[in-house]
Amino acid sequence: MTRGPGGKSMTRIRRNGAFYVAIAPFLVIFLVFSVFPVVFSFYLGFNRWDGFSDPEFVGFANYAQALRDPVFQKAIGNTVYLWFWSTLVTVGLALVLAVLVNEYVLAGKTYFRMVFLLPLLVAPAIAAIILRVFFTSNGGLVNLLSGAVTGTPSYFDWLGSEAWIKPLVVLLVVWRWTGWHMIIFLAGLQAIPRDIYEAARMDGVGRWPIFSRITVPLLLPSLAFSIITATLGGLQMFDEPYVLTQGTGGTNNAATTLGMYLYATAFTQFNFGLGSAVSWYIFAAVVVFTVVYQAIVRRSQAGAAA
Amino acid sequence: MRKLLANRERRFNLLVTAALAVVSLLFVLPLYWTTVFATRTLSEVFQFPPPVWYGGNIVQNYFNIANVFPPFRPIWNSLIVAVPKTVGLVLVSALAGYGFARYTRAPGHRLLLVMTFATLFFPPSLALIPFFLQMSWFGWLNTFWPLIVPALASGFGVVWMYTYIGSTVPRELYEAAEMDGAKGLATFFFVVLPIIRPGLAALAVWTLISTWNDFQLPLVVLAEGSRFTVPLALTMLSTTHYSDMPAVMLATLMGLVPVFVLFALLSRQFIAGLTSGAVK
Repeated sequence: MTRGPGGKSMTRIRRNGAFYVAIAPFLVIFLVFSVFPVVFSFYLGFNRWDGFSDPEFVGFANYAQALRDPVFQKAIGNTVYLWFWSTLVTVGLALVLAVLVNEYVLAGKTYFRMVFLLPLLVAPAIAAIILRVFFTSNGGLVNLLSGAVTGTPSYFDWLGSEAWIKPLVVLLVVWRWTGWHMIIFLAGLQAIPRDIYEAARMDGVGRWPIFSRITVPLLLPSLAFSIITATLGGLQMFDEPYVLTQGTGGTNNAATTLGMYLYATAFTQFNFGLGSAVSWYIFAAVVVFTVVYQAIVRRSQAGAAA
Repeated sequence: MRKLLANRERRFNLLVTAALAVVSLLFVLPLYWTTVFATRTLSEVFQFPPPVWYGGNIVQNYFNIANVFPPFRPIWNSLIVAVPKTVGLVLVSALAGYGFARYTRAPGHRLLLVMTFATLFFPPSLALIPFFLQMSWFGWLNTFWPLIVPALASGFGVVWMYTYIGSTVPRELYEAAEMDGAKGLATFFFVVLPIIRPGLAALAVWTLISTWNDFQLPLVVLAEGSRFTVPLALTMLSTTHYSDMPAVMLATLMGLVPVFVLFALLSRQFIAGLTSGAVK
């Protein structure tokens, strides 16, 4: 047996044989069902294909076609709106709730930790159904209540309204996710040493400066994790607007997201090439957001350390 | 002076607690009303003021659902998908996580680990269309296989178990097991698995619940109503029979019960799972 230049690494591979056995099930399934589709999606993005006839290479035509489509342009705007407002409200509310529960609640801390999590157990699709029932124009709870307040029966079509459908989606996301972010923040708060607060209080620092100058900067890692997670979900939002608008995207596509646009092009128009191009736009958005956000966090952490 | 301050502080805390209690009730209210509506008749639901307590129409509402589809069918379908997927995903992830945590000097370790972390930032929508085509080539459309087999390889699960094993299993344990003559896989099954049970449980609960709530993937691969999982069946019911609110609410409630029972039993593991991702 000859010892080639790779002989040393061969013995290292053999010595660590169990490593490859241990990761093999994961790696094989992952290559077949995740890596292959992603590569194939890249190929599809440059082809026109309905799934039956031969794919036809069209270069960047799909990417250009998407950009020209007014529905796609609207979907970008809707997605950014839904991502921004749902992230801002959810994270903001969760932060306030977590700090209040951690610092000022007298009794029932366990109750507060649990109760806000309950909506997360409800599937987005199911939550959307519940919301639909409450906001139905004819006999929905919200119209009944507003009718009782104003004295005239109300039949306002919340779900068909272009102005209201997006805030309703945001409401849905906030309802489901606030508890999750709150748990993340509570874990982060518990990692902050108590004596910092004691010292600040002894020096007569008020509640607001303690929150804005001590709590928030020390909670930055949790905040970063929380915002990134909300962003990854927000840019791909599908279930909530889909079920809330019963797959239509709402009046004039008022709630059509990029995820819904992708679904419609691929699975109702069978334009797999265009759909794949859209999925790469979503991917690009995720990459841009992640990189920008990490740069911001790194800079602010460096600033806090200095 | 000091007593006055303490008093003022106490009053503030009391106020905060009361306000939080009110907010928490707002969060639960939709769920509570779902249970109330599920037991009422259609005309009672339309009344003003709306019913705030339970009625006696639950059996009739059940039969109204049964006219559309067998009410327990979607729950059964969801179980057939969620349970095997969870068991498989947890095992595959734990095994890979163990490999990554223990054999840090194996050639290719770093590259593969970085790739696994990178998958967390890959939006699933990127693979959706080709995945659908792939499933049709496999002849798997309208079966449960696409929801179970591909899901066994979860980058999220592997990262989770890698982090968990790295922080709970001391390296000396591997050396001790090796001295006793245990091979890599034997060490995993007999030494590591028993130690990491809490981590396995946390990942299992999280996987079960998120699988139960999955919507887009089942929507894409399942065609026949008799195979619909809970969220799909409910969406169908609420579009075709939206006027029968109590029946929709009862069906919704039935689909929620398994998840809430699971949460009641394993809420500690569930919460531990949520925070493990944040602490890296």
